[in-house]
Amino acid sequence: MLSVEGLTVRAGAVELVHDVSFHIGPGERVGLIGESGSGKSLTALSLMGLLPEGVTAGGKARLHDRDLIGVPESKLKDLRGRAMSMVFQEPMTALNPLMRVGAQVAEVMTLHGRPRDQARARAVELLGEVRLPDPAQVARAYPHQLSGGQRQRVMLAIALANEPGLLICDEPTTALDVTVQKQMLDLIAEVAPALLFITHDLAVVASVCERVLVMYGGRVVESGPIREVFTRPRHRYTEGLLAASKLTPRGTRLPTIQGSVPPAGQFPGGCVFRNRCPHADTACEKVPALTGEGHAHACWHPADRG
Amino acid sequence: MKGRVNAGLIAGGVLVGLVVAMALVSFVWTPHDPELVDAANKLREPGDGYLLGADKFGRDTFSQLMVGARTTLYVGIVAVGIAALIGTPLGVIAGMTRLRWLSELVMRVNDLVFAFPALLLAVMLGAVYGAGTLTAMIAIGVATVPAFARVARAATMQVMVTDYILAARAAGRRRLPVAFRHVLPNIGSMLIVQASVSFAIAILAEAALSFLGFGTRPPTPSWGRMLQESQELLFSTPRLALWPGLAIALAVLGFNLLGDGLRDYLDPKLRRIRAER
Amino acid sequence: MILYLLKRTAVFLVSTAVAGVLVFAFMAVLPGDPAEVALGVNATPEALAELRRQFGTDRPPVAQFLDWFGGLATGDFGTSYVTSAPIGPQISDRLGVTVVLVGGGMLAALLIAVPAGTFAAVHHRNPLGVVISAFSQVGIAIPAFLAGILLVFVFAVQAQALPSGGYVPLAEDPVEWFRSLLLPWLSLGLVQGAVLTRYVRSAVLDVMREDYLRTARAKGRGRMGALWRHGLRNAAVPVVTVLGLQLATLLIGAVVVERVFVIPGLGDLLLNGVAARDLLLVQGVVMVLVAAVLLINFVVDVAYAALDPRLRGAR
Repeated sequence: MLSVEGLTVRAGAVELVHDVSFHIGPGERVGLIGESGSGKSLTALSLMGLLPEGVTAGGKARLHDRDLIGVPESKLKDLRGRAMSMVFQEPMTALNPLMRVGAQVAEVMTLHGRPRDQARARAVELLGEVRLPDPAQVARAYPHQLSGGQRQRVMLAIALANEPGLLICDEPTTALDVTVQKQMLDLIAEVAPALLFITHDLAVVASVCERVLVMYGGRVVESGPIREVFTRPRHRYTEGLLAASKLTPRGTRLPTIQGSVPPAGQFPGGCVFRNRCPHADTACEKVPALTGEGHAHACWHPADRG
Repeated sequence: MKGRVNAGLIAGGVLVGLVVAMALVSFVWTPHDPELVDAANKLREPGDGYLLGADKFGRDTFSQLMVGARTTLYVGIVAVGIAALIGTPLGVIAGMTRLRWLSELVMRVNDLVFAFPALLLAVMLGAVYGAGTLTAMIAIGVATVPAFARVARAATMQVMVTDYILAARAAGRRRLPVAFRHVLPNIGSMLIVQASVSFAIAILAEAALSFLGFGTRPPTPSWGRMLQESQELLFSTPRLALWPGLAIALAVLGFNLLGDGLRDYLDPKLRRIRAER
Repeated sequence: MILYLLKRTAVFLVSTAVAGVLVFAFMAVLPGDPAEVALGVNATPEALAELRRQFGTDRPPVAQFLDWFGGLATGDFGTSYVTSAPIGPQISDRLGVTVVLVGGGMLAALLIAVPAGTFAAVHHRNPLGVVISAFSQVGIAIPAFLAGILLVFVFAVQAQALPSGGYVPLAEDPVEWFRSLLLPWLSLGLVQGAVLTRYVRSAVLDVMREDYLRTARAKGRGRMGALWRHGLRNAAVPVVTVLGLQLATLLIGAVVVERVFVIPGLGDLLLNGVAARDLLLVQGVVMVLVAAVLLINFVVDVAYAALDPRLRGAR
């Protein structure tokens, strides 16, 4: 349903995302993990055609046989909010402070052809479906009268209003309180169609997704079914991530990956993880290709073989 | 903490510098006596010692511009001085006080004075005490007090919630010393920027007043009055309007650019507190 | 919201009253006695006393003030000490002209600033956007009367297309009325337009960076559509505040422009009054101008709250 091949994102001369390929089938839940600077957000934004000024995307991406990259805005905007939609990280600033909530939800429907009164009524229903108490009241409210968690639910309602085939969530719960996070994740797990879930939190992705892609330095370094990748990681970076995450019971010392993420454009040539990997050697000067069916990795010295 | 020296700062500095230089030089030398009526040279074209020509009274335009620069600067300095000396303490008090009613009161009075534009005040003052440079300066100064008070208050309020002020007060220091040692130096940059912007406005106000006949009295040269005098001869001798007009525009532009440039230089982060017009 | 409106109205009324006191006190300070001025140095004491009684200047200041201010509320501005003509009608005649002048100037300013500022913001990296920014910077440095003289030079002297001054009432000849006001409107509009352009640009730039614009695009709007539907109203909030300030400046600018173009408005009346030492007239006109500024502030406050729901509750 969604297929991405060789996606590249550039800002001027600097390559921020390199040769990313993956696919998502109907109803599939795929997670995209990585730290800040890994390029995960940019990957998502380039699929939606929402890259910031000065940043461009190349390669191929297709949703239901419609091209997404290199296509003029006039064609893309027809897909956004209808065939695919996105929920962003920061709910406090995502809604127009001067417009009532209900109108903002109705807007996504009227934009794609629904008549106004129908859209209005459906908006209230949707607010109920995302478990907001007293949806009619919420619809009449302004964003500043709602909490962060509530606003994020509104964003979810907007995203799902036109029943898109694909929902992209970019760190949707990171800005929320811990207690609210779980509710939000449960909700997303329940209502999402095909899902691309971006996060840096391994525990979160494990609770929502079936498959996962691990990104580092703008490249996909590992991918596969969650259970497998998390219990038997191949790429050294994934190994490091898992060791440092809440998923792995620890001893007394907190394991960390040595070094820190380089700024964009300053990743080493060859294997992107080379300068922080304890297993790196001269072989790693060449870019490893993503190999393996099902559970793929891009590493010359994957974990299994030591 | 400091921003970059930028093009606006330099351009503004150069223009302002030119005006200041003209004024300073005029104390020592001008090509001709700008106040001397010389019928023989009436409406003389530029050239031969009269760089920009002469007006209908035979007075050299260039000399008038130079001495006019003095007036422009006087008015600016005194007006901004008055505004700063009165407005800043008011604003700081309003910003620092815990008494909400005091802060509110000061701001209401401020708004009221704001409602009296400089021109109106100057006209009123002029009606009562007779028009002239002094009344113009005082009127413009008083009219500019609200702008300074507002900026001082906003900047003070911003500074008051910074961590080191809270620390100083937690350590038991009383408010007044805190004001002097910490608040004033920090709002200084915003005040300097405001001073530059207000200077530009003062120049505009003085020019308008002189144009209306409420500013500097003849025969002392003033750019605004030069413009007014040029109006009747606009059809025949447009250059008489060109030079004072250009002088006013460049001086104002210079101070505006200087103000913007200073703001970017002194603390780009404080951009948020807009200089008031 | 109601509470807010009531509070704002109260502030407006109190401010106007205080302004009245200030204006009156100011004029009362003037040395000299209107009766003496009217009758001359050789007048007899009885004639002076009689005239003072007629003028009402023999009463205590507070009574005079209350009388005058109370009169204002009913539209009675008193009778001039100098010309013996009632002041109210003079003001109302001229008020219309000044209002039209200021209104047209503001409209011209908006017509220039909104497109120019939006364009400069949307294309802020593009050379054309930068040029517009630079132009607006220059425009600010030019006082309205200078712009007026410049325009007269270009359009009246060189092109001979428009009159260099004078005013024709609308009722008399609509076309000439329009022509006589065109250059004055432009003088005010160009200068204020330049100032406003900077604010519009800044407001639109701020809005362009807001997340809710991205949300709008994620819903399926294009760049310009998102800016139009979501950005403009949000950008309007800071611009409306400035508009209020600008109107006050325009009012004063109008005073000067009336001189340049010989237009019989309030400004002209004021200046004539000052020249003739007609104090009561000056008092009246100043009061009207100040009240106008206060009224504008009031309207801006209300508009502000109408535009931005966040301001309606707590204040």
